[in-house]
Amino acid sequence: MGLYLLVRAAVLVVSTAVASVVVFAVMAVLPGDPAEVALGVNATAEAVAAKRAEFGTDRPLTTQFLDWVSGLPVGDFGVSYVTSDRVGPQIVDRLGVTLWLVLFGMLMAIVVAVPLGTAAAVRHRSVGGLLLSGLSQLGVAVPAFLAGILLVFLFAVTWQALPSGGYTPLREDPGAWFQQLLLPSLSLGLVQGAVLSRYVRSAVLDVMREDYIRTARAKGLGLYRALWKHGARNAAIPVVTVLGLQLATLLIGAVVVERVFTLPGLGSLLLDGVANRDLLLVQGTVMVLVVAVLGINFLVDVLYALLDPRLRGAR
Amino acid sequence: MTRPLARLVTVIATATLAITAAGCSSGTSGDSSTASSLSVGFVAEPANLDFTSTDGVAIPQALLVNVYEGLVKLDQDGKIVPLLAESWDISPDRKTYTFHLRDNVTFTNGKKFTADDVVFSINRVKTDWKVSLKSAMDVVANVEKKDETTAVVTLTKPSNSWLYKMTTRVGAMFSRDGVADLANKPVGTGPYKLDSWRRGDAITYSANANYWGTKPKAGKVVLKYFKDATALNNALLTGGIDIISAVQAPESIQQFSDTSKYEVIEGTTTGEVVLSFNNSKAPLNDKRVRQAIRYAIDHKALLDTAWAGRGQLIGSMVPPTDPWYEDLTNLYPHDPAKARDLLAQAGQPKLNLRLRIPNLPYAVASAQVVKSQLAAVGITVEIEPLEFPARWLDVVFKQADYDMSIINHVEPRDITAVFGNPDYYLRYHNPKVQELFAKADAGTEDEQVAAMKEAARIVAEDAAGDFLFLFPNLIVAKKGMTGLPKNLVSESFDLSVLSPSEA
Amino acid sequence: MTALDNLPATQRGRRRRRRVNPSMMVGATLVTLVVLAALTSFIWTPHDALHVDAAHRLAPAFSDSFVLGTDKFGRDVASQLMVGARTTLFVGIVAVGVAAIIGTPLGVLAGMAGGWLSEVVMRANDLLFAFPALLLAIMLGAVFGASTLTAMIAIGVATIPAFARVARGQTLGVMHTEYVLAARAAGRSRLAIALRHVLPNIASILIVQASVSFAIAILAEAALSFLGFGTRPPTPSWGRMLQESQELLFSTPRLAFLPGLAIALAVLGFNLLGDGLRDWLDPKLREHR
Repeated sequence: MGLYLLVRAAVLVVSTAVASVVVFAVMAVLPGDPAEVALGVNATAEAVAAKRAEFGTDRPLTTQFLDWVSGLPVGDFGVSYVTSDRVGPQIVDRLGVTLWLVLFGMLMAIVVAVPLGTAAAVRHRSVGGLLLSGLSQLGVAVPAFLAGILLVFLFAVTWQALPSGGYTPLREDPGAWFQQLLLPSLSLGLVQGAVLSRYVRSAVLDVMREDYIRTARAKGLGLYRALWKHGARNAAIPVVTVLGLQLATLLIGAVVVERVFTLPGLGSLLLDGVANRDLLLVQGTVMVLVVAVLGINFLVDVLYALLDPRLRGAR
Repeated sequence: MTRPLARLVTVIATATLAITAAGCSSGTSGDSSTASSLSVGFVAEPANLDFTSTDGVAIPQALLVNVYEGLVKLDQDGKIVPLLAESWDISPDRKTYTFHLRDNVTFTNGKKFTADDVVFSINRVKTDWKVSLKSAMDVVANVEKKDETTAVVTLTKPSNSWLYKMTTRVGAMFSRDGVADLANKPVGTGPYKLDSWRRGDAITYSANANYWGTKPKAGKVVLKYFKDATALNNALLTGGIDIISAVQAPESIQQFSDTSKYEVIEGTTTGEVVLSFNNSKAPLNDKRVRQAIRYAIDHKALLDTAWAGRGQLIGSMVPPTDPWYEDLTNLYPHDPAKARDLLAQAGQPKLNLRLRIPNLPYAVASAQVVKSQLAAVGITVEIEPLEFPARWLDVVFKQADYDMSIINHVEPRDITAVFGNPDYYLRYHNPKVQELFAKADAGTEDEQVAAMKEAARIVAEDAAGDFLFLFPNLIVAKKGMTGLPKNLVSESFDLSVLSPSEA
Repeated sequence: MTALDNLPATQRGRRRRRRVNPSMMVGATLVTLVVLAALTSFIWTPHDALHVDAAHRLAPAFSDSFVLGTDKFGRDVASQLMVGARTTLFVGIVAVGVAAIIGTPLGVLAGMAGGWLSEVVMRANDLLFAFPALLLAIMLGAVFGASTLTAMIAIGVATIPAFARVARGQTLGVMHTEYVLAARAAGRSRLAIALRHVLPNIASILIVQASVSFAIAILAEAALSFLGFGTRPPTPSWGRMLQESQELLFSTPRLAFLPGLAIALAVLGFNLLGDGLRDWLDPKLREHR
């Protein structure tokens, strides 16, 4: 077990290192000189050269890379070309928004998926179960941004029940903060919940056929009680795996949903950064997203090893 | 735990900490100000707040007139009127300008505004500004302080455009002690001062308590930024904002047809949406081909489909708010047969052209109509949207690697920059036009109008570009809002005159 | 082995007999519809899908010859949807093709070789998994200018891990079957075993994977077009049609509803087809496990 974790951790480090090279390399070939973009049209050659020197983009690529990568472990992402602010705090600032969005989205997905999936499994032979499965299939087929547009149209524009977008930090107004997060996380959560419910259904189906559930039922326990007391842990293994992988999807789905709801999260930071050729900002944001996904996968592996006793002996 | 993961955890932990810590302090920020607050929706967010080193219209739109002020400004009719200068005298040779300054003006850092700041600000354009606009000050030979409230500017030659340029961001007055962090902490003399800026979301202004002039009507103004046109509309529909400064999805204006709730203002801007040609490169270096394209385009149909008929047809690079405006829309009426003839004469019956446009709503919409209309006369157009600003600037603007493009030339009186400079991306070189522009700049008011009119006509006849339409000033506000500008004549959005409904 | 390698399959049915199930029927029907619409659009559409016509803009459905009406440019919506189906299928085919062609050999290699080689391939796979399609497409779009091509490649590359993983898992199972053991005993080369025994036996599950990946590719293309990182105008794409008609949601909801419906039905079709195929192929697959 200890060795297993050690190996996984080593893999994570190597993956992160490789990812940093890839991200830097892609940014390096990006056409459009940040110095020229900053100065706009008709800038003189001297002004551009001076700006390059100011940005440090006149140095060899390897120097720039080492400079950048050596700052990463301590959270130093460099200084933005466009805002001349430190990139790190900006990312942390936006990450706050995105994390809440993803967290709420995940909660909504679980709230939707667990009852829906369990009910679909328990009634899998009846018309009701078929309908539930059909419903989840339909949910999977709707793009998150479309769900977002429709939710805004109904809840915000037509019924005027919730705000159509924007973000207020929790510290300024918790009520507004919650209201503004509700629709975006719902549009993320509904779609992800539909995906998740299919995995819940098949996990519950598998568990239902196990002997211990049959035994428990024979002893007079109701099906839902038996499932809860004896099956939950076993059904949780595959579901947790999927949940972890979905967390990564949610992080990316948030990019699109942020656009629909004008949330100042990582996604909008990334898109703005690309449009303004704010290379260090883009590099930093992409790196955080990639490391987040790698980290989530690592955590899922650890969790998986903890939940599944068979894996503990492995390796 | 591994290093990168540890870092991630740190980042997450810091974020959470920041949020929880912030959560504790909630409720303490109860502002006692009773002044009314206004929320205005915009499309383009400034990348930073320093227009001396970063180009783009978003920064002056937010800051000029509101935070920074110049010696002079433009009024609603496009006339130059006093601002920080109470009056000015122009010498008979029209080379020396003497500005008499207001003596009750202070900057938001507490410093008094004097002639020293005028000297500092104008000289600083030459020495420290990095954007190309700084060339507007090339004509200044000398600027000096006569006394505390008098500044004298001497030009190398008479120039009408210089005083006009002084109304734009180039003429903004800075405090000698207020330029340390222009990107984040602007210090000006304007009616508003910057409170906070939450990147990707909103800029908040509060009224400058020591403002020398009429106190702004709204005590607090929030400039909210929306990437998405629909999100901007939705924000007004749901009460998230009070004003849409510029509607980006004109079809959606029907949503605001309820006149008991909304007010729609429609006027003109100084933004000419131009189908620009690469005049120096085959096949568009052939006047007949350019003319053919102008004949092939049905401008009325284009405006109706691409921009819901909002906006105005213009036949030249001059908006109706300029003194030398002339209706030239009938110069090239829609005539596909003539277009085909001209193409045949030019030996180009089958043409392939690259239309490289910025990925902005009006350009993407217009391009699709242009493509369809040009297809009718045998020109095949390939549309290529480029990210704006970075990629479009690089490919089209800098390298001029394009056949046609579509861009809204928003700067006021930009005809001289666009068609008077052969190095500009349209690569239009016409000595006669350049001569007329020079004459207009140096001449009297009447000479200026006559020369500009003639130049504009030559440019239009020459088909140096096709002028698709004049971008509309489309503002939607909650019912009862006053002070909304009918026509947009400058690069700033004056917030101080806006007043929310009293009822 | 990581958790990723143990992705649970949905709807793991235990039917013994092969029979065509309702999912497969519905899925196949929907997919056929999309394919038919796309193929027909090559030879016939009700109108020129790109023709801008100011006189007929925003025509309601069933007016004149516009069955589904026209958009704000006066273009026929029905024709646009048909040509849009072409774009959707094109993106799906290329993306899934790229993923299958690169991912499958990698997975088979990892499954057959085992040891450190397998470990390296799969960990590289995990790394690739950390660059989702959207991120890749935004980066590619920034470098080369966004187009259908960059979208397809980004989606395809991002889908490689899915194929590699499935191929590896199935290969591991096949490696222990009697006929592979026999072939190895007979001294057949690894390549021959891979081509003769492994690939044919894992092909069916790869087809299932292709169907599911296709659905994901359609969603990804729609999202990218929505953000402006996908198909260029005026080439019709369902995602861009949706984005362009957003401003008309209030007055002409049909324009946003129709491409939205098309996306949902196509995704539903490919997902159901995948599920149905999985159930249908399941009994055979189980024997090899």
